Amino acid sequence: MSYGPLLFLGILFTLATSWVGLVLLPHRQMGALGQHTDTNTAAIYPADRSGEAQQGAEHYRSLGCVYCHTQQIRPEGYGSDIERGWGRRRTVSRDYIHDKTVMLGTMRTGPDLTNIGERQADAAWHYRHLYNPQITSPGSIMPPHAFLFDVRTIGQAGRSTNALVLEGPFAPPAGQEVIPTRRAEQLVAYLRSLKSSGDLPEAPVKKEEAQ
Amino acid sequence: MSVIAFILLGSVVLLPAAGLLALRWATSTGQFRCPDKAALLPFDEVEPVGMETDCILGGNRR
Amino acid sequence: MINQSQTLQNKTLRALLPGDALTGGGTEGGKKAALAEIDASCRVPVLFFFLSGLAWLLAGTILALVASIKLHTPGFLASWEWLTFSNVRTAHLNTVVYGFASQISVGVTIWLMCRLCRIPLVAPGLITVANLFYNLGVTVGVGGILIGDSTAIEWLEMPRYATPILFISYALIAVWTIVTFRLRAERHLYVSQWYLLAAVLWFPWLYGTAQVMLLIEPVRGVVQAAVNWWFAHNVLGLWFTPIGLASIYYFIPKVIGRPIHSYYLSVLGFWSLALFYNWNGMHHLVGGPLPAWMITVSIVASVMMLIPVITVAINHHFTMVGHFGKLKYSPTLRFMVFGAVSYTLASLQGVASAVRSISEVTHFTHHTIAHAHLGMYAFFTMVMFGAMYYILPRITQREWPSNGLISLHFWGVALGIVLYVVPMSIMGFIQGTMLNDAAVRFLDVVQFTLPWLKLRTLAGLLLAAGHVAFVINVGWLLVRMFEPYRKPVVSILTGEAETVAAAKLP
Repeated sequence: MSYGPLLFLGILFTLATSWVGLVLLPHRQMGALGQHTDTNTAAIYPADRSGEAQQGAEHYRSLGCVYCHTQQIRPEGYGSDIERGWGRRRTVSRDYIHDKTVMLGTMRTGPDLTNIGERQADAAWHYRHLYNPQITSPGSIMPPHAFLFDVRTIGQAGRSTNALVLEGPFAPPAGQEVIPTRRAEQLVAYLRSLKSSGDLPEAPVKKEEAQ
Repeated sequence: MSVIAFILLGSVVLLPAAGLLALRWATSTGQFRCPDKAALLPFDEVEPVGMETDCILGGNRR
Repeated sequence: MINQSQTLQNKTLRALLPGDALTGGGTEGGKKAALAEIDASCRVPVLFFFLSGLAWLLAGTILALVASIKLHTPGFLASWEWLTFSNVRTAHLNTVVYGFASQISVGVTIWLMCRLCRIPLVAPGLITVANLFYNLGVTVGVGGILIGDSTAIEWLEMPRYATPILFISYALIAVWTIVTFRLRAERHLYVSQWYLLAAVLWFPWLYGTAQVMLLIEPVRGVVQAAVNWWFAHNVLGLWFTPIGLASIYYFIPKVIGRPIHSYYLSVLGFWSLALFYNWNGMHHLVGGPLPAWMITVSIVASVMMLIPVITVAINHHFTMVGHFGKLKYSPTLRFMVFGAVSYTLASLQGVASAVRSISEVTHFTHHTIAHAHLGMYAFFTMVMFGAMYYILPRITQREWPSNGLISLHFWGVALGIVLYVVPMSIMGFIQGTMLNDAAVRFLDVVQFTLPWLKLRTLAGLLLAAGHVAFVINVGWLLVRMFEPYRKPVVSILTGEAETVAAAKLP
């Protein structure tokens, strides 16, 4: 087995180079990515996240939303992410430079959330959906997150402005209202900030044909 | 960055070095000669080749 | 100067070795210990790892059932925040991977190293400390996950305050393995030892590096995903797979009394596995926001895995040919062969899933979950069960109290995992096809998955029944250990037919 040692030599060398290839090189290639400024509109993409939304990202992580929801759009023609309206273009590395913990996700038990801020801009929808997903999405298997809300007696001043509007079986008992906690507000701020459709040189948004 | 650079570059050097040392050791101690003899290493005088062990089901108790 | 420190090192190493197992000069090539002596010396340390591992298995099984029910019945236990599906699923993964599978791995590694190095267990204190740190680490880690401190990085969810505890344990185990290797009496290495040494030395480095690059000094952006899946896939490929294969390579020949078909093939399989496996990681990110070349490289490496996988399959098959009848008599052999076949199937499924056209359908679906369980359960866990069936009687010097429980265990988990993996793989494929058709409403896809998810819970109940049967048998065995021994030692090791005592056993 005289070629054995040579074989082992190659294998051992490759053991280290795989790690160079998969970790070191991408780190160099992508670690220096910055925001892109559109030459026409001077818009900066990706925009910084507000403090509230950054806090919300931490709640997203802590609640483990990533185990059922992805945040990546696959290219057009590969899967149907774009056809489903989940995004106008595929996502690229630059879309994630502001994420403290990048949560691409690996399961679509629920829909992709990359552009949920564009699909559902209304905060009220998000509060109702989090409180009990059956309200907005009957048949959903997403669990209710009632613990993100307080159920309080309606005070002297009447209903609070941020109380959820609930009907039928989902409504609280008479005289009570459902108020989002700080955590819920920050989480919804984060969800509403999820928009990744900025035009980028490496991933241009397909322009609509003249309507 | 500095901690990462230390780990990354240090490992790129140390891992193949360790592998090469292992290789040199293996060839110098003759690990790759007589592969058929090596296949017999699980066996010895008490449990030689040809003796079944762990026959405990089906009415056997060995 | 060098000679002084070497002499000191030799003295220290020899001081660690109990009794007079080593004679003569040098730290290699001493007197080979008897199998019975080796087994006896392994008793307490290996039992520590096996028993704590099994305790975590029970916890992980309960968590698995809760998670499975929550997916098709989302209102189940929904009012407790610490029991959200994400928490329970994450706790399940970490409990079974780190609490159960890794601890049984360590126990098996210890015993195999002692047996193959032909020396009694050295430095039991080191093992005990490692075990204490280990269980502390997993407890703190899983507790941290349940209170909301999960990092949300798959396979690395334990918070930063728990992981150094585990790292210390892994490092101690690596040190112990090196010490045992240095003190070995059998100078030649068997293929299992190659696998075990690689696993035990590679893993602490892998774990530590991932911790630094993701939690301590996090890298920026999608490089996190690259590091995440480089780590997670290497846990499978360079920690669990080698230990599983090391076990199969030892136990199948030991049970049937024949050496493996081709030792040369086995070594070739090892090195090609080491060569290709660790490039696979990016196949978890096909279609994702990473450079295409990285993902392509991983897909290629995944396909190249066919080489070691087919090599191993040929070797195992030709070793077993003519001896399949022995499956009737040996629980170890049943579990090992089931595991070996599952290894091949899981690898083939993995190779297929990595290819772009198939990943387009199966990515993000339950097919991936089914695949994970085909690999970690049908292959790895079954092999570990087989190893425990062989090792436990020998270190406790007692026979298994109940053959009925053995059969219940085997058939429960065998049927359970088949009922899990096959329907979920099919369902995942259909789910992916539906998801790729933009005309199908998302909620309709969800509705489609529900009956299959309920079937998975049923499969989980079968697995749970098998686990309970095994744990009862193990507990009974331990009780026996404290009873006066009823059969002569020689009957376990040399296979001499038993005499009077057999009539008393159930």
